[in-house]
Amino acid sequence: MDITINRFLKILLFLLGLAAIGWLVVKLSSIIMVFIVGALLAYILDPIASFLEYKGLSRAAATGVIFLVLALILFLTVLFVVPPIIDQVKVIQHNLSSDTSAEAIKNIEQFIRKNIPFMKESDLNLQVRVNEMVTHFSNSIFGLLGSVISIITTLVIIPFVVFFLLKDGRSMIKNLVSIIPNRYFEITLNLLYKIDLQIGGYLRGQFFDALIIGILSVIALWFLKVPYFLLIGAFAGLANMVPYVGPWTGASLAVLVVLISNGEVNQMVMVALAFAIIQLIDNVLVQPLVVARSVKMHPLLVIFAVIVGGQFYGILGMFLAVPVAAIIKVFVIEVYNMYKKVNLAF
Amino acid sequence: MFQDLSKKELRQLERILHQRTYKQGEVVFNEGEPGVGMYIIEDGEVQITIGKDRRVLAVLSKGDFFGEMALLLEAPRTASAIASKASILYGFFQPDLFSILETYPRTGNKILLRLSQMIAERLRRSNIENRELREKLQALEAKGK
Repeated sequence: MDITINRFLKILLFLLGLAAIGWLVVKLSSIIMVFIVGALLAYILDPIASFLEYKGLSRAAATGVIFLVLALILFLTVLFVVPPIIDQVKVIQHNLSSDTSAEAIKNIEQFIRKNIPFMKESDLNLQVRVNEMVTHFSNSIFGLLGSVISIITTLVIIPFVVFFLLKDGRSMIKNLVSIIPNRYFEITLNLLYKIDLQIGGYLRGQFFDALIIGILSVIALWFLKVPYFLLIGAFAGLANMVPYVGPWTGASLAVLVVLISNGEVNQMVMVALAFAIIQLIDNVLVQPLVVARSVKMHPLLVIFAVIVGGQFYGILGMFLAVPVAAIIKVFVIEVYNMYKKVNLAF
Repeated sequence: MFQDLSKKELRQLERILHQRTYKQGEVVFNEGEPGVGMYIIEDGEVQITIGKDRRVLAVLSKGDFFGEMALLLEAPRTASAIASKASILYGFFQPDLFSILETYPRTGNKILLRLSQMIAERLRRSNIENRELREKLQALEAKGK
């Protein structure tokens, strides 16, 4: 009887503990997100620090060098890239309410109504929808930079987290592993190693792939004299990190902007062609060189993960969906294999 | 195993070794489990056993090491290790070996070379024992005829 009561109390305590952790995670979700972004950046930069260590620098000096270079890049970005992007978002919002774009949208509506007769006027209402979409888009961009996580948090806490995780990450992991009971210690180390193998190459590859695609898109759009080339190019680069959906989103946005700004068919075709070429370069040259194909998952599973990630954490959730799904996959497979091997051995 | 390393290299190694404390009778690893590394005995005593009946193959003490095959080969453990006295062990694992090879290749290569020498030495001794046993078996077979 006593044993049953004890077991019941233990289960109750465990459930209460779980609920408390869940409540804390929800309450501190924005802070947790800051740490996740910081940890992700530190993880991406880790091989560079290791390379500098290999060249003879201490870990602290290697972290310092990386931070100096990053500070310089950030300074130049804030100085030269951010102001034009903010201007371009403002111009898009202004232009969409202008007469020219209203006329262009009206033309599209007329074209659709003529060719698809069963479409009712209330079904279309493109002007209102485009306005809503752009307001939402620009709000979410500024939200990402400023309002959701305050500018102070973004500018101070994330670099702070990245610095210490990059410098002391290894000893932190070692200390964390040291509190794991002896029975599970080796299994945990093995799991961590397998997860690192699976997602390390993928995450770093995706980051550099997005950077290259972003730069190529900006150059192509600038060459084709597409308005807001900087903003669309940056968006295309970022969107490229979301598997399957991303590359199409960047191209569609560029074509849509050309359609709304002047509606020239030639330019729309050229933009679509430019994105097709960029995707070709990405698939043939960049991805095989930069992105390690470590995450082996079925496309359906990837899309499902992206949708679920987006549902919970928006754009960031979509970026993180694949690595998180990969971690879960490695965990399940490794635990299953271990269970099978142990059962076979005895 | 780390006798060729300088003080500086030992400090680099210290950062990746995992110190673990075991109670008397506690299992370090079980036969058949996937292994990723080796253990060095800092203090105490460890029994290497085989089979369900835990037949003792060897008793190791301070300065000895075991499980080194898992450092190079990703295969299930071929024997179990149990702390027969309260022990302090240092764990050295495959991911850490790869990490040290990447960041401090000179230190990593020294460890790898020493490890290969020790495994080669064990193989040489096993070959001699194997030959002696075969000769004994042949002699017994000849007597039987």
